[in-house]
Amino acid sequence: MRPARRLIFALVCLAALDPFVPVMQRRVERHRYEDALAFRFEGSDLFALGPLVAYLRDQPRGERPRTVFLGNSVMFGYGLDAAEAIPGRFQQLHPDTQVFNAAINGFEMGSSYLVSKAIVDAVDRFYVMRGTAAANPLLASLIPVEEADVRAFHLQSPNPVEARLQSMAEIWHLYASTYRLQAAIFGTSTRQYIHGRADAVRRAIAPDGPQPAIGAHAPADGAIAVTRWRSATIPTDERRSELRRQDQVLWQFAELVSAHRKRAVILQFGGAVTGVSSETELADFNAAFAPFVEVVGLTIPPAFKYDSRHLTAEGARLVAEALRP
Amino acid sequence: MILTLRFIVLFVLCGICFFSVPRAWRPLTLAFWGAVFYAMFAGAFLAIVLALTVLTYFAGRRVVAWTTGALVVGLLYYFKVRAAVFDIGAGAPSSATILIPLGFSYLSFELLHVVIERRRGRIPVPSFPDLLAFVFFAPARVAGPIKRYPDFTGAVHGAEWSMDNLYAGTIRVMVGLAKKLFIADVLALTVAERPDVRSAAHAWVVLLAFTFQIYFDFSAYTDVAIGFSRMLGITLPENFRRPYLAPNIREFWNRWHITLSMWVRDYVFLPAGRGLFRTRLRALPTVIAAISYVVTFLVVGAWHGITAAFLLWGLYHGVLLAAYHAMRAKMPPSIAAHPLYRSRAADACGVAVTFLLVAIGWVPFMTSWDGASRLLALLFGAGR
Repeated sequence: MRPARRLIFALVCLAALDPFVPVMQRRVERHRYEDALAFRFEGSDLFALGPLVAYLRDQPRGERPRTVFLGNSVMFGYGLDAAEAIPGRFQQLHPDTQVFNAAINGFEMGSSYLVSKAIVDAVDRFYVMRGTAAANPLLASLIPVEEADVRAFHLQSPNPVEARLQSMAEIWHLYASTYRLQAAIFGTSTRQYIHGRADAVRRAIAPDGPQPAIGAHAPADGAIAVTRWRSATIPTDERRSELRRQDQVLWQFAELVSAHRKRAVILQFGGAVTGVSSETELADFNAAFAPFVEVVGLTIPPAFKYDSRHLTAEGARLVAEALRP
Repeated sequence: MILTLRFIVLFVLCGICFFSVPRAWRPLTLAFWGAVFYAMFAGAFLAIVLALTVLTYFAGRRVVAWTTGALVVGLLYYFKVRAAVFDIGAGAPSSATILIPLGFSYLSFELLHVVIERRRGRIPVPSFPDLLAFVFFAPARVAGPIKRYPDFTGAVHGAEWSMDNLYAGTIRVMVGLAKKLFIADVLALTVAERPDVRSAAHAWVVLLAFTFQIYFDFSAYTDVAIGFSRMLGITLPENFRRPYLAPNIREFWNRWHITLSMWVRDYVFLPAGRGLFRTRLRALPTVIAAISYVVTFLVVGAWHGITAAFLLWGLYHGVLLAAYHAMRAKMPPSIAAHPLYRSRAADACGVAVTFLLVAIGWVPFMTSWDGASRLLALLFGAGR
């Protein structure tokens, strides 16, 4: 009966450990999310986003005011260390706030809006990169998303039976907390953590493969131009409807933030933009949502990018400085 | 799919029923819960699978056997072509299930095995519940292994509840989970660097990552299937036996996806060889073997997907096996008997060469046709 004894021993150990899991989870999450100086998930990990959102929803008040950065790899700081990315630089400039770099490679405005909607009560200020209205189809499996949004953004709907079973299984704390524990302990999902360590060994042996691009840390001359569109007049209802029609997701995001009396800066990194795009439209948009939401234009000289899009460390520092509230 | 809570709940219910009902009802119990599982994950195709099962049951008659065989092969071809049109490769099983009935590649080979063996007289008239259990057995439905009807039926009827089985099955499932989550999924992150590959060294890293990812991923599913079956006291055939330590390509195919290798050996390679022996090629056994290998592995490639990349992969392995066979057949006895040829050093060299050839063979598997050309060029220092 040795197998029986082993199985029973394993079950007893799990049962004995289970009451301590919530306490352990609170400790590691607080350490990970509240004490970090330049928080971001390693490897721009989509799957670690769920635990961060769950934590913020569980703990709507932090020790410091919270600022969340949302966007794609430019905001994440691809090729840069966490402290060198825009959110990391911003954290250094504003140590009185807790900055979360929640940007994920490929995230568009639709994804940022849905994430913002899930955490708006727990955040004081958002910095969001402007993009298309698309949302990552997996989001509904990772964060709470309303049924109407699942349909509107064409997300993959979680299986209702599976979701029901999962909620029933959450009586087992270790099962319920497994992703949150992984994210808090490793600062990313376990697979990203192992991959990151293995990658470090690989680079030590053979320094090859994708790595911070040449020039990512090189100093450069020039300045980042910041454009703030302002209008002295409040737009009429008709004008508001017109702007809303032009960019529904942008408008919904602004409505969400202003309805909760939070603050948001939407960053427009040059390039062609569809929807609300002319100077007059942007000025009217900002006037409609002042003082809660503002679209800010950033023109970044090529010298501050190491490829066609991604910022150098110097570029990220200058952008962070330009974002002073 | 077999790692979801839905499956686990179904499996527990199935296990309780399986050991609670009289022994004679066990196949029907497995069939019922298997059908529930199939309906839950691929409901739209349940009717097709049921219809094929009924046809297979009546495959003792020549006309029905030929009709069933043609239908199974035709459907397999249709679904593979449909998947190819939607550009579904080996790396996208979840999307593929939308277009291909759940585990249809495995199911089709299992049904063909029953049809052929019935015609050969090696399987007597099967009991319908046994056949349903064979078709719908949930743990092996998604990713094999490819079962054999007599072995499976014997295992079901002889299944006994024991703590040893539960323990061994649980451990096997956990080993599979660990392989999948901690090794295969981590390697997948390195494989995902493929579009950014710019140098030969990086291309080799990505290729090696894929070589191990596909092994750990596939063998993980086999471990989970075997583990769950073991909990029910049912032994499934093994599918992998340290394939990357094979000293030659023939041995590799005796260790890699063993149940598929055995299937194509029995139903493609040997019949093809026998057929060729009845032709003028009779005097050229090496040529017969070479043609049989190539034909067999073209079938293996097509079984994975009817795309140029999979067919190329099949052809590559067919040619390798044919070349190995010819080398062995034409090797002078003095070399074959030489102590160096039989030494451990020679074995080690054989393992290294076989591994390298197999790894290069994975290139078409991991990417599109264009991507494969680019990656091959980079691997051998000819591209950027």
